[in-house]
Amino acid sequence: MRTPDISSALMPAVRDGSSMHAALELGYRQLLLERGNLLALLGPLTAAARRGTAIFVNLDAVEGLANDSAALAFLATDLGFSGVVSVKSHALRDAGRFRLRTVQRIHAIDSTGLETGLNGIVSPPPYAIAVAPALALPLVMTAIREKSSAPVWGTGFVSSAEEAEAILAAGASVVTSSRPDLWRHFAEIPVRG
Amino acid sequence: MATRAIVPPASPRAIDGPMSRLLEAFARVPVAAVIRRGEELPRALASQVPAVFFVRAPAFHLGPLVWAVQAKHKLAFVHIDLIAGLGKDRAGISFLAREIGVNGIITSHSSLVAAAKAERVIAVQRLLLYDDLALPSAMAALDHARPDIVEVLPGVVFRSVVDQIRARLPLPIIVGGFITGEAQRRTALDAGAVAISASTPSLWP
Repeated sequence: MRTPDISSALMPAVRDGSSMHAALELGYRQLLLERGNLLALLGPLTAAARRGTAIFVNLDAVEGLANDSAALAFLATDLGFSGVVSVKSHALRDAGRFRLRTVQRIHAIDSTGLETGLNGIVSPPPYAIAVAPALALPLVMTAIREKSSAPVWGTGFVSSAEEAEAILAAGASVVTSSRPDLWRHFAEIPVRG
Repeated sequence: MATRAIVPPASPRAIDGPMSRLLEAFARVPVAAVIRRGEELPRALASQVPAVFFVRAPAFHLGPLVWAVQAKHKLAFVHIDLIAGLGKDRAGISFLAREIGVNGIITSHSSLVAAAKAERVIAVQRLLLYDDLALPSAMAALDHARPDIVEVLPGVVFRSVVDQIRARLPLPIIVGGFITGEAQRRTALDAGAVAISASTPSLWP
């Protein structure tokens, strides 16, 4: 079974039942579970995945999962999630074995940290690279493109639609945000090329 | 030159001398040179920067580099989180402070800030702004650890969080991370940083 793909330039980042419900109400068919207790949301998450919502989960930040293969098998097989986000190369390699899409998170803090992140890009290439904070994306896009042609997401510290637009204009294919005002702004805009 | 509020540390400690020396120097030249490789050092030594930040330095070959900085009457700081070969613990901090004689330690970990303060070197705590959801807990950790200086990275996020940080933490702030041009330097200083940290030599006056 093929899980759903990205369908919009904005990816709502949710952490609990009410934020998840709000994003789905706006018509989003994609979610990033960025924080919170995954095990407390099993019912609604499974139901959303079954109805065709692409669900990605930040493996480094959600509570309730072990850092092992059993957790990844559960996400892929029992819950029908689309993919995982992590800074850890080994976690992404394992996730790939369960046919989860792999989003490699890179911390764009300074040039030293960026170098470390770029050197850690997994092989086979990730489904996408998520740059955190998204505001730094325009500063690091060239360096990323020298290393990888994977789609780039911007994640974290996007506080307005203008900032989100600037990040997309700099080459991001997706911006993730936990702000409902941004979800509303982007509710109608389809994913780019 | 923009006016910058310089807030001294809350309680008098043995590092008050070096700390006020550093802040006075930053008031004249508000730049710390970030050194990633040994060959970048000579240019920093020849510049007016009052402080040198060693990141990714090899711990057990660091002595001569630190002493060269101090011979130029500059303060030498070492980022312990990325250093090769050294334990990220109290023993590691002790080694840097006593055996090498660094002036300050840079770390993002509160426990290492406490160890640096115990060794009476200047404690610089990094506030890594990659995730707005993590900001409240990162600020709580800083509030608890009470470093001498906060280093906020990356610079591009500083302006959107500076008010929150200053309301919570009355500490001198250095801004670093992708500060590669004069415009970014200006923005950080105008927003209230006492200095920038930069690995781009053209920003070392």
